[in-house]
Amino acid sequence: MSDVRVLTTASGCHLFSGCGYPAPSISDFYFKPIFTVGGVAFTKPMLLAVVTAVIILTFFFVAFRKPKIVPRGAQNLGELGVLFVRDQILRQQLGKKGDKFLPFIVAIFFFVWIMNLFGIIPLIEFPATSRFAFPVTLALIVWVTYITIGIKSKGPIGYFRRMAVPEGAPWWILPLLAPVELFSNILVRPFTLAIRLFANMLAGHLLLLVFGLASWYLFSLSIGLLFAATSFLLTIILTGLEVLIMALQAFIFATLTSFYIADAMETAH
Amino acid sequence: MSGGGPPAGDRDPSQPRPAGEGWTILSYMIGGMALYGFLGWLIGRWTGLPVLFPIGMLVGLASAIALIIFRVTRS
Repeated sequence: MSDVRVLTTASGCHLFSGCGYPAPSISDFYFKPIFTVGGVAFTKPMLLAVVTAVIILTFFFVAFRKPKIVPRGAQNLGELGVLFVRDQILRQQLGKKGDKFLPFIVAIFFFVWIMNLFGIIPLIEFPATSRFAFPVTLALIVWVTYITIGIKSKGPIGYFRRMAVPEGAPWWILPLLAPVELFSNILVRPFTLAIRLFANMLAGHLLLLVFGLASWYLFSLSIGLLFAATSFLLTIILTGLEVLIMALQAFIFATLTSFYIADAMETAH
Repeated sequence: MSGGGPPAGDRDPSQPRPAGEGWTILSYMIGGMALYGFLGWLIGRWTGLPVLFPIGMLVGLASAIALIIFRVTRS
């Protein structure tokens, strides 16, 4: 059971045919391994991650292989993407001093975006980021990055002091507030970063499954036809919404990554 | 946002606060409630007073709000 097509043809259920609506469930997020190497199963989400990396590497290699002053073709598109990330995400948080992190943020943004986008590509129809391991790994990379940058720029003690002591708070309330500040900076940040992306993609995929399946299930020569048409219309509208959310989640992920880096680099609050 | 107050830290005064700042509010709320809620639950189990769990969560919520206020109004 991998996506809408397989599920619907597998169930073959229709309205008034005696069987109930085959509701999508969490099992739609688990796949039969494509192949197994030494006990490690290689599944569709892993394949999608590899494909994403190949797509991004190929595209940017082709785009910037022979850069010209006046960009044409793929270089034009590549520059558009990189400049968007630089001006709308990176410099909003870090200013010009953050330009050395541009490759990192560009990689994060496009990786998350393409991984999300697989959710609406016909025949693939699965956002790889709706498997929790991918957002968690990305969040861990971000976490290690911003903590390393913080320690490098302020030293271990100075950095953790700034992580724990909120500025502007009177001293007598510090024992109460410092644990919250430290906890939210060290643990809650990577956790919410991962959860936000994962939950959005999981919910979006389930939503599309619900209405995609319903269009098929309600499709019969009866009043169900009307419901099926409505459901199909909703599938299309929600697909449009998902396109927006997929780009937005990649944008938020990259924005927060640059914000955390900026926060770690900042000398004095 | 501090309602037109002076911008914080060493940021460029002509620039608005970065958007990521807003998300830290969420992280304070979750962090405060989870941390003190867990502490309250733990002490509540130890002392046999389950009421310490919601009290801990409220304390966490209050600390989170205090942190947000200090963070936003500092100059």
